Amino acid sequence: MSICVQGLTKRYDRQPVVADFSLTVPAGELCVLLGPSGSGKSTVLRIIAGLLAPDAGRVSLHGRDVTGLPPQARGAGFVFQSYALFRSMTVAENVGFALAVRGVPRAERRHRVDELLELVGLGGLGRRLPRQLSGGQQQRVALARALAHRPEVLLLDEPFGALDARIRAELRRSLREIQRELGIATLFVTHDQEEAFALADRIAVMALGRLVETGTPRELYLRPQTEFVATFLGAANLLVGEATARGVRIGPVDFPLGGDAGGEGAQRRVQVLFRPEDVALVAPGAPSPAPLLGTGTVESCAFAGALEQLRLRLPPFVGVRAIAPPVPFGAGSFAIVASRPPHEAHALPLAPGDEVGVAVRRLHALAHPGLQFLLLAEPSPEGLAAVGWAGELTRRTHARLAVLLAGLPEETARQRLGSGLPAVTFHPVRGVVEAAVAELARLTAPDLLLAGAPPGRGATLGASLLATGAHHLLLVRAEGPLPERALVCAAVGEPGKEDVAFTGRLLRHLGTHVTVLTVLPAASPAAPRTQAERFLTASARTLEPLGVPAATRLGEGDPEAEILAVLAGGAELLVLGVPLPKADGALSLDGIAGRLVERTGDLPLLVIRSFPEMTT
Amino acid sequence: MRGARRGPLPGFGLALGFTLSYLGALVLLPFAALLLRALQLTPARFWELVSTPRTLAAFRLSFGAALTAAAVNLLCGLLVAWVLERYRFPGRRLLDALVDLPFALPTAVAGIALTALWDERGWLGALVAPLGIRVANTPLGVLVALVFIGLPFVVRTVQPVLRGLEPALEEAAASLGASRRQAFARVLLPELRPAALTGFVLAIARGLGEYGSVIFIAGNLPERTEIAPLLIMIRLEEYDLAGATAIAATFLAASLLLLFAVNLLSWRQRRRVGAA
Repeated sequence: MSICVQGLTKRYDRQPVVADFSLTVPAGELCVLLGPSGSGKSTVLRIIAGLLAPDAGRVSLHGRDVTGLPPQARGAGFVFQSYALFRSMTVAENVGFALAVRGVPRAERRHRVDELLELVGLGGLGRRLPRQLSGGQQQRVALARALAHRPEVLLLDEPFGALDARIRAELRRSLREIQRELGIATLFVTHDQEEAFALADRIAVMALGRLVETGTPRELYLRPQTEFVATFLGAANLLVGEATARGVRIGPVDFPLGGDAGGEGAQRRVQVLFRPEDVALVAPGAPSPAPLLGTGTVESCAFAGALEQLRLRLPPFVGVRAIAPPVPFGAGSFAIVASRPPHEAHALPLAPGDEVGVAVRRLHALAHPGLQFLLLAEPSPEGLAAVGWAGELTRRTHARLAVLLAGLPEETARQRLGSGLPAVTFHPVRGVVEAAVAELARLTAPDLLLAGAPPGRGATLGASLLATGAHHLLLVRAEGPLPERALVCAAVGEPGKEDVAFTGRLLRHLGTHVTVLTVLPAASPAAPRTQAERFLTASARTLEPLGVPAATRLGEGDPEAEILAVLAGGAELLVLGVPLPKADGALSLDGIAGRLVERTGDLPLLVIRSFPEMTT
Repeated sequence: MRGARRGPLPGFGLALGFTLSYLGALVLLPFAALLLRALQLTPARFWELVSTPRTLAAFRLSFGAALTAAAVNLLCGLLVAWVLERYRFPGRRLLDALVDLPFALPTAVAGIALTALWDERGWLGALVAPLGIRVANTPLGVLVALVFIGLPFVVRTVQPVLRGLEPALEEAAASLGASRRQAFARVLLPELRPAALTGFVLAIARGLGEYGSVIFIAGNLPERTEIAPLLIMIRLEEYDLAGATAIAATFLAASLLLLFAVNLLSWRQRRRVGAA
């Protein structure tokens, strides 16, 4: 085992950029660490190289624990995106640097340098200066330099990011050959999935500082386990359907599924994935070779070399939620991406606007359902009420639930939660409750945190619980049934969209009737009014395909009074967006939100975090 | 001046013409007048005027002190620039602003302040007097004044380069096994060398021309602590125009030669690193 990291955690300003990251790269393997920018992948690499110290966790290279060692003592080769060549030295001096600082005699050094330059395809260029070489050649020099001291592991940080596509492909091939020849354990960081597919023995996908999944490129593409990997690697159609005894139901259509759906229990919700090449397009009315999803309209088609790529628009199925391609806010339909080889395109030519039958040849069901909850279980009356809510909500939404036991015995919690929960785990609190919540949130990445809030403590408790992670928050303040009517107080604009979208995602399983309310200042001019009306229409159109009955309401005047007036008309759940974080990043529930929390008695509150990028 | 290389900015001819006449009127014309004056002397007379012991001593002192002071500033300036760029400490901005003080201070003020400080009864002068070291009224005093006024040059030329160095260079050196000292000597120093040399040249130039701050602390004893610019001044006051011209022309030629040599070195360094 060559590179082994366990439980790496690194925080900046107390925000984890790498959270509990573990990975092993055996000798001879080229592992690609893939993730969007800001996912913490470079941080992991720098910690392995010793350029950065972790807050927690261990690094071992070749079975030797190097966690406390400086970079000089780790025996790792590191290649930077910027090459970081020493400009005042010749190519040969650059490559021989690691040997020179180790006092290797000149003759031996020259021999090794020539050998390395030959290896990276730069034989005879040793006397040039780095700036006399092209970008691709410079990176070859950097690679040779990183290999000079025969490192046990090779670490590359987006090494080809600054190069053009053709050079990049060439360098990839060289790297792959060199890595095979030397049999050196290699960790390659990139955000480019094409690069990952071209290089990797194994891909490790990272997001928000966590390891999401690892597997061979083929495994991750064909059988991803998570929504993130399904949509991040390659183009994907990802829908939420229902598992049945025989397969998967998407809207009115039943798809047989080869074994891996595992329809235990009725009506389990599953995410299903099919790739563009899994879509078969048939002429309307013609016999279909595969189960037909419906009839769609061609929105666009583009020629892309070997394949024709199409985007189709289908009418919505009630109860089917599309995750990818993303549905534009307010769209009353959903889109499917498809691709087909030239002979199929030739047999059935299509142009934008044409109607066509959309069939699916192959489906993959993701192991995890959409939602993950975290419950803070306390023995107070409100805490017990929250446990009851969590049980019911989890059952209805088929979510996964992690329960943090803060003074409540596990047996009591189990009883209150009730039976029929698909995936529940229990975790005792050690130490401070907030810290324990934060720790568990880090491990389980919940969408929603449920907690009980005693009277008068809603605002302060709410703020401190929101600060424990990147989740939304449901505060339960009294025993009661799940809501029949909910009021969403949404601001016009992007945050408001998130309020509506998450509310729909959660409440679609409960049959709750939703009213979306937007309040304008008194005597608003026409422009904001039109904008607000458009927002409300789009909100209704977003909720309806999810099967959430929705009404909208445009208020005017003092928002607080307006909201209280609508609440008086009857609602069992109030949905609020978190106010913008303060300049120091702290969230607080003051202002209108805070006063509403105080003035709504024991009404349950769903607090939606609309700025995930500002709080993670 | 090739017509084919038209830049996006108009008026190249006009701008060049203006620049040349401006430089000509401001810089070249006085030099030409000086040389013309010197040419009116016969070579024998010229040699006689510049080879007096007093003149030779003044040259030795001027060039010696300027070079030594610039060398001191090269080392200390690098250190100051390093500290200002690489560490964060309270008062850093104040310290950074203080570096420019020798630029801004009228040289006479600097001279008086330094004299007061280094005089045998001054704070620092009294401190070193028991060790048998006298600063005021000695060549050492000249050096002290030139070190003082030359400091900003090296600091201000090195600082931006140091700031612009990518951290990856040091990280690369570390990952390749270089100790901090090796990384500094083999990787960072070569990157800084061209800028440091430029600062060095500027410090020499300033040291050669400095007058105001030196004459207060030097004591101006002929053949001991008298700098060349002062000697020219004295000759002029004695209405010895020929003497002043001969010394001035020689001083000018020697300065140009020295600056040209050091600039050549700096330019070669720069070319190797490939910096602009």
